[in-house]
Amino acid sequence: MESKHVHEQIAAMRQSFFNEEVLNENFSQLEQLEGKDNPNFVEEVFTMYLRDSIAFLETIEEAMKTIPIDSIKMDSILHQLKGSSASVGANKVLKEVNKTRQVLGKGNLERTKASILELRKEYDSFKAKLEPYFQLKQANSVAQEK
Amino acid sequence: MAHTLPSSDQSSDQDKWDSGGLECKGQLLIKIVMRNRLTALVVDGDTTCWVLEQELLHSYGVQTLGVDNSRDAVDLIASDAEFNLIIIEKILPVLNGLEVTRQICEIGVRCKMLEVTACSGESERQAFLAFGVDVFIEKPLDPEHLVPILRELDGQ
Repeated sequence: MESKHVHEQIAAMRQSFFNEEVLNENFSQLEQLEGKDNPNFVEEVFTMYLRDSIAFLETIEEAMKTIPIDSIKMDSILHQLKGSSASVGANKVLKEVNKTRQVLGKGNLERTKASILELRKEYDSFKAKLEPYFQLKQANSVAQEK
Repeated sequence: MAHTLPSSDQSSDQDKWDSGGLECKGQLLIKIVMRNRLTALVVDGDTTCWVLEQELLHSYGVQTLGVDNSRDAVDLIASDAEFNLIIIEKILPVLNGLEVTRQICEIGVRCKMLEVTACSGESERQAFLAFGVDVFIEKPLDPEHLVPILRELDGQ
């Protein structure tokens, strides 16, 4: 009964991510690559993604402090962040990356700064939502093994 | 530095090959039965993408080797390593993807080459195609684009 409740909770959390467009169908593709040979694949990928994304964001934030801004370097980092965000299905993060690249391309410094702040907020929100989901999945998985 | 994706299930993959083919797992992934074991080189500096692309290929029974920079990719090809498929990202450490593509083609490699990148303009797309890339795909690499290519390489 308890296990069924946890399953329902996990399923509800997952569905809410799609309903709120936090995740898109690329996340479903990722899930399909997980199997009994690699039961924690999705969580491992997300751990990698979150770790690398924060490094990218911190690099971008530091780069914004230098004058003049190295927009080529920044765009290169945003390109990588776009690729990894698209690959894991991080929909809202991806949209903010695209917005940031657009304003960066137009050379508007103030709007770029504002956009990077929004991107960072979206990343933090994404992490705050996904981490409890994976923790619950992990805890449930451990409980089921017992 | 060249990397390999550790195959956690090589023995069961071997059993499946011995029985005549390898079917792709999963429901959303397009199912195909491969007659041959193909090989692929994945060149991508981003760890997340690198791991995902290799796992997708692996799910179709493709043996993969991954490198995270262009220098290792060129050195590998120059040392006569052969692959059925090479997947290259546009932005790479050391040399960019376009330069890597050019050098690989200069060496004389004639396998299928895919450019899988986050985004690019039409002029860059044309430049990659002119240098020898066969297909240009926007990330993420997905079964809809990959399966027809694997079928072609498998002679289906």
